[in-house]
Amino acid sequence: MTAARRRALVGLGIGLALADSSVVTLALPDILRRYEVEIPQVAWVLTSYNLGLALAAVPAAYLGRRRPRAAFAVGTLVFAAASLVCALAPSFGVLVGARCVQAVGGALLVCAALDLLTAIDGSDARSVRTWAAAGVVGAALGPAAGGVLTQTLGWESIFLVQAPLALVTMAALVGLRARPVHGPAGRPNVPANAALLLISGALTAALFLLVLLLVDGWRIDPAVAGVIVTVLPAAAILTGRVAHRFGGSLTRAASGAVLIAGGLGALGVLPGSSWLWTIAPQALVGAGLGLSLSALTERALHGRSPQAVHGGWTIAARHAGVVVGLLLLTPVFTTALDRNEDRALRAGAAAVLDSSIPPLEKLGLAQDVLAVVHASNREVPDVREAFANRPDDPAYRTLEATLVSELDRAVTAAFARPFLLAALLALAALIPIVLSRGKVSV
Amino acid sequence: MKAAPFVLACAAAVGLVAAYVAFGGTSYEPTPVANPCLPRPARQATSTDERLEHVVLAAADAAACKLGVSREELVLALRSVDDLDRLAEKEGRSRDELEQTLRDGLVRAVGEAEGQNLIGDNTASTLRFAAEHLPLGLLLEVLRRASSILG
Repeated sequence: MTAARRRALVGLGIGLALADSSVVTLALPDILRRYEVEIPQVAWVLTSYNLGLALAAVPAAYLGRRRPRAAFAVGTLVFAAASLVCALAPSFGVLVGARCVQAVGGALLVCAALDLLTAIDGSDARSVRTWAAAGVVGAALGPAAGGVLTQTLGWESIFLVQAPLALVTMAALVGLRARPVHGPAGRPNVPANAALLLISGALTAALFLLVLLLVDGWRIDPAVAGVIVTVLPAAAILTGRVAHRFGGSLTRAASGAVLIAGGLGALGVLPGSSWLWTIAPQALVGAGLGLSLSALTERALHGRSPQAVHGGWTIAARHAGVVVGLLLLTPVFTTALDRNEDRALRAGAAAVLDSSIPPLEKLGLAQDVLAVVHASNREVPDVREAFANRPDDPAYRTLEATLVSELDRAVTAAFARPFLLAALLALAALIPIVLSRGKVSV
Repeated sequence: MKAAPFVLACAAAVGLVAAYVAFGGTSYEPTPVANPCLPRPARQATSTDERLEHVVLAAADAAACKLGVSREELVLALRSVDDLDRLAEKEGRSRDELEQTLRDGLVRAVGEAEGQNLIGDNTASTLRFAAEHLPLGLLLEVLRRASSILG
């Protein structure tokens, strides 16, 4: 097998494992309905995987450096088997448990992959670039791929597709010799890993909340939303290809953090509820992701040995950041959503009271709208259902449009605070980035 | 560190946020509801239904103004006695206080509508009697169905 083919297979494995931190984002509404849980509970499908990866990455790296081939094989098998259990999970508890096991397999696979890439390329620098790039592409493409699979084949297909794909990557091991790495591991690059943690926490908003806004908030079809959010990975991949022209890793990391903060800040002040408004912010966040994640990973690994252990630290930092982001942003978002739904309800009541439809009809319509709101069970209600059997009269259509607009305004405003908080996290990453000045020159 | 790419990134970030704010990004929120203490634009009330609706909404405005809540919040609380109790608790008032404010608002609105010849003497008397004597649950039912009962 050629080196390029081996590299692609190992890269696929890394991409699969890291895409899993965000791949189920678009499937969350379906999972929520399937297991009849609420938003804070369903977030554990994401949190458990990222928490598992964050906790298992460093121990997995220590294990993997002694026998990289075996670690990659075991990690891949565990990941694939746990993926199947996720697809067939009879209860929400089993699904979350299987996600934890999947994360342990993913951690072994990803950390061992770094030593395998070094064996394939014969160069630490090149293997780090490939490893970082595969991770960026996987994390960025996750939501879009998950959205398309959820819409076309159902959310279970995300996990069913992963299992055989993961097993295929094991073909890279045939005839490959990877030397075990001995000797003590040095201290991790704390500033670079701290910056990775903060940037990943900020990216949580872009990768998870944006998808929720499009699908649950603005009622966009998940498959269409999957296509819309491809702007982010496309920008990340394009920027990643020309990243070296932006200068050294310090410049790229700092510029990337600022671009992510700008994109998230813009998502926090959206002037309307059309997906078109999300394009420019996505492009900025994607460009920032392409610049900063790979630059910070390179800084964290530069001159440190063994690579797999320090790679493990970067995985732990990134996914701890996702967990921090989820734990920090989810309550802010749900509180703001509750508050804004109350405001929307009052604005909607004002629209009904002030409308020109006959007074007796207002009573019936108001009751129907409230019934839709109560039946929504903490999801964003679709008030258009209340108008389904009403006369096709301009007064009703105007009122319907007003109510939908008030709800859109409420939902969009509810997302503003978590997006702005995430923008602050990205800006906070500048502190460790600046602190790491002079320590690394790549 | 190279300054140019960093400055370019800062300009792109600040520029996009500034553009979105200029397009109204910070004011894209649910429309604030009107102050119930301020007069509302006059609306034509020709049918019995519309005249009674005018009385009920004027009563809601008067009561909401005195309670310091919006008319819409009060109307939403009129769905049931339980909803009204929740509003009283939220506003730190007693149930009796809220109930009396509602009755006073309705009596006042009936008087005003009578003075403007929007409703006749019999309708005004019936509504005034309901406001002063009916138990709260029944009064809410009357308010919700005023037009169908009296129209």
